[in-house]
Amino acid sequence: MKFIVFRYNPDVDATLRMQEYEVAASRGMMLRDALMEIKRQDETFSFRHSCGEGVCGSDGVNVNGTNLLGCITRVSDLKEPVTVRPLPGRPVVRDLVVDMSQFYQQYRAVRPYLIRRDPLPEQEILQSPGERDQLDGLYECIMCGCCSTACPSFWWNPDKFHGPQALLQAWRFLADSRDQATDERLDALEGPYRLFRCHTIMNCVEVCPKHLNPTVAIGKIKELMLKKAI
Amino acid sequence: MSRQASGFRAWVLQRISAVYLGVYLVYLLGFIAIEPPQSFEAWRTWMAHPVVSFTLLLFFVSLFVHAWVGVRDVVLDYVKPYLLRVLVLSVFAFGLIGSGLWVAKVIFLAGQTV
Repeated sequence: MKFIVFRYNPDVDATLRMQEYEVAASRGMMLRDALMEIKRQDETFSFRHSCGEGVCGSDGVNVNGTNLLGCITRVSDLKEPVTVRPLPGRPVVRDLVVDMSQFYQQYRAVRPYLIRRDPLPEQEILQSPGERDQLDGLYECIMCGCCSTACPSFWWNPDKFHGPQALLQAWRFLADSRDQATDERLDALEGPYRLFRCHTIMNCVEVCPKHLNPTVAIGKIKELMLKKAI
Repeated sequence: MSRQASGFRAWVLQRISAVYLGVYLVYLLGFIAIEPPQSFEAWRTWMAHPVVSFTLLLFFVSLFVHAWVGVRDVVLDYVKPYLLRVLVLSVFAFGLIGSGLWVAKVIFLAGQTV
């Protein structure tokens, strides 16, 4: 199979280049396996990967224009030639490795942890099964960054707009019955940028390798704001 | 636009105005399709009716509010230089306010002279 891979090493290269590689596809071969084969052919090539089974979220890449996880994408499902680029809109560190600092800053900004006003109980804070169900489709996020780096609003304002990943997590804690900082969280999302740059483009929904739906989460945040306002 | 309420309030205004625009547009198109006024005088009589002039005025207010939020969204996304942003927003603000006053004048004058 023919792969065309984005190459850029800031220490050596003046500009980026697209380099072609030929990889023999084997049965059940994932894109991550193909990238490792390319690495065997050319050891100057860099990319991130770790668990190899869609859990760690390290190997988010842009393939034929779509963000996906290399480890859970079969090469047989990809159209040849397979063009592999780094996640869009992020500064390139080297080859497919990008700088995700802004993405993590936006995540940090939504305070992704339980905030309690009441004194903490001796043991765990109990939830009913119904309350626990509210977190399904939210807690599974592995922070691969496929969604936020596919979002045009995040491309234009990555410093101000939280992006789909962070907003999904904002809703994850708003929806949690154990959290007691609803008003603070909603106030922190006010303003024209942090939440409201979302224009329901829904690229995030399309690319999420975990089939989560940040657009619905963002809609629920707005709904809750409306409920609190009237 | 107030700095604090510019996100949520703008979003709510856009949604509410969209509903009114949608409903009223159906009425307007239906009216024009079924029994369009045949003469200038007929148009003026129609517009001079208090219900029509009020709802029509509300339609244009909704339209300009909706347009303002939309234009502001585009500017926030794409126009980064501060001075250019102020300039573009000002042009649209004056344009929309001017259009609003002009529409109000047309509607009120229709009521006066009949």
